[in-house]
Amino acid sequence: MWAYVTRRILYNVPVFLGIVLFVMLALRVRDPVNSHLGKVKSEQEIKQLRKEMGLDRPFHIQYFSFLGDVCTLNFDDECWDHPGRSVGEVMGESIGPSLALTLPALVLTTLISVSISLVSAWFRGRWMDKALVITAVLGMSVSFLVYIVVGQYMGTTWLKEHTGFAPFAVSFGGYDGEPTAMEMLLEVWPHYYLLPVLISVIVAMGYDTRFYRAVMVEESARDYITTARAKGASRVKVLFVHMLKNAMIPIITRVVITIPFLITGSFLLESYFGIPGMGRELLTAVNHGDFPVVQAFTAVFALVYILSNLLTDVLYAVFDPRVRLS
Amino acid sequence: MMQRLLNSRSFRKYWKHKPAVVSSIIIAGYVIVSLAIVFGDLVTIENCEQRVAPKELPGFGLLPVVSEELNAQEEYVNEIDRLLQKQRKNPDTEEKCRYMGLEVVDRPPEQLEKEIEEYFAVADQLYQIDDIDDIVAEGGSEAQDILSKLTKAREIQRGFYTAESQDALARKLQLSLGTDRQGRSIFLRAVYSIKVAITVGFVTGILAVGIGTILGLIAGYSGGWADALVTWLYSTFASIPNIVLLMVLAWVFQGGEVDKWLNDLTNNYFEKLIGGALEETLIPVIIAFSATYWIGPCRIIRGETLKLRESEYVQAARVMGFSRFRVLFRHILPNLSHLMLINFSLLFIGAIKSEVILSFLGLGVQRGASWGKMIDASKSDVANGMFWQIGAATAFMFGLVLAFNILSDALQDILDPKHV
Repeated sequence: MWAYVTRRILYNVPVFLGIVLFVMLALRVRDPVNSHLGKVKSEQEIKQLRKEMGLDRPFHIQYFSFLGDVCTLNFDDECWDHPGRSVGEVMGESIGPSLALTLPALVLTTLISVSISLVSAWFRGRWMDKALVITAVLGMSVSFLVYIVVGQYMGTTWLKEHTGFAPFAVSFGGYDGEPTAMEMLLEVWPHYYLLPVLISVIVAMGYDTRFYRAVMVEESARDYITTARAKGASRVKVLFVHMLKNAMIPIITRVVITIPFLITGSFLLESYFGIPGMGRELLTAVNHGDFPVVQAFTAVFALVYILSNLLTDVLYAVFDPRVRLS
Repeated sequence: MMQRLLNSRSFRKYWKHKPAVVSSIIIAGYVIVSLAIVFGDLVTIENCEQRVAPKELPGFGLLPVVSEELNAQEEYVNEIDRLLQKQRKNPDTEEKCRYMGLEVVDRPPEQLEKEIEEYFAVADQLYQIDDIDDIVAEGGSEAQDILSKLTKAREIQRGFYTAESQDALARKLQLSLGTDRQGRSIFLRAVYSIKVAITVGFVTGILAVGIGTILGLIAGYSGGWADALVTWLYSTFASIPNIVLLMVLAWVFQGGEVDKWLNDLTNNYFEKLIGGALEETLIPVIIAFSATYWIGPCRIIRGETLKLRESEYVQAARVMGFSRFRVLFRHILPNLSHLMLINFSLLFIGAIKSEVILSFLGLGVQRGASWGKMIDASKSDVANGMFWQIGAATAFMFGLVLAFNILSDALQDILDPKHV
């Protein structure tokens, strides 16, 4: 077991070094300082900023110093776009809203799609199953954007016109004072986050339901199911006890794989609803040429991605002993 | 060759799979339209950027309500007025009086002026009525009166333009899905976007599957350091979330520095080759997608090659002394072609959807129309109950993506039944 885990960690080290290398190279293809300040600042000031950022050093020195920063999570460079605030501060402030949006969405999506896929597997080949599969394919063929635009309209303007009831905010605004945790949970969160969460659940459901249904269908063709049925176990028992237990491995894998996307948040939802999460910060940084933010954020996303990949591998080994031996 | 293909088991299975056949026909339709745009100038970029009618005309067969129609009429009439004043200031100009694709009738200016006055005499009465739409909706004698006045105003306004100035059917089509806020035809923009989507999907699909297959074959077949290198490369690219990678690549192409560098390097030949600035073409988007999407096919092809390398027929081919190249491309590749096809169709969908999202975020298509830009532009329309722009973009995109979804599912079932 430990040998396996060590092997996986060692395997991921060069991958991480590669990502940081690639990101740093890609961001230096065009001169970041020049493209941010070229029009407004003098030659002198540009040189000054380049020196402050350490961009005048040889590349390998920059590489190792940035690598050190990422490994120690030390991001105290100043943002170009928010003067006076460090990249670390911006990151720390935006991670909460991202999680408030994506974590509930992930939990809801997984619960609902696993239940639907069980229904689908129960009625396999009959009209109910077919209807669910067709709905999933139809739903997948509509762009995410449409769900967001129409969802926002239905949840705010339409709902207000037709019922006079306006529970959701059109976009994120501040809140008065310092709300307590209870107020946060019962008033602020539903007002600003519930609608984006619902939209995200609806969008993800098509993909997830299809995946989980495929898992269930594959599982239901296995010998142990036939054996259990032959021994007289009821269909309900086979479905919920035997099958669901064995289907847990792919379900957990899929959930863990989604973790990095929890951090990136949903770019589109965040930027459309104005939620100040990490995805939105990165998008603004790219659009404004805010080099330190883009570099640090991408490196952190990659780090999280690799860590969750490792977690998947370890969980795999825990749940399925065969993996350890390979 | 053809005969063999038509008689093959896969083809017969495909032919029996009616939804897949229907989807193929739909996709072929989209491809034909996009070819007609690229080679036959069916719709040009200028067409879809041009004003064709008053802004925000409703589409999908909906009739404008009275107040909307009045606004539209006024725009037409004001334009005539403007042209007349221009002529008065500068009587020598032989400017052809065209407005939004319509030709102005050839009548003496005095008569036109009189008609304009006549128009406003009728229309002003209507302008003065508040909530005119509600009154018309309720019906009754007042509504009758308003409608008759409206008809009269409409007749005068239509008289300003010659009827046969433009092919009536083409005009009807242009306006069939309404106009956007700049008075551009939504139909033309949606049709032009087909070309953008098909180009991006096709080129990305071919490039990504091509790169992935070549690297996957080399890695899987030769093993050793080549395998380690390719595995490292795709693990690296796969560890950056897709959208972040796309954004980083979009950053690289922003600002035109890469463009300048390439032009300096090639003595401005590059600009001539692609016909304009790099940023305005689809090339940055395609490069970003290809760099992101080659990973999937590469991983799958590498895995399959590893398996095939140990199979008996490949061993036999090697023992017979065939060259590495021949074994790879003559013996192994044909047995992977089904995976390439499946991956191509999956990537096609992925590329089209991502193009829409990138354009929406302002990082994708810069010039011309795309479904993403249309949906982006319709954000505020929807809140005002004007759904035709988002509706048109969604409907056009839905057809293509659904057809590809069904086709790729069918291909998977037919060619790779073991796959979950």
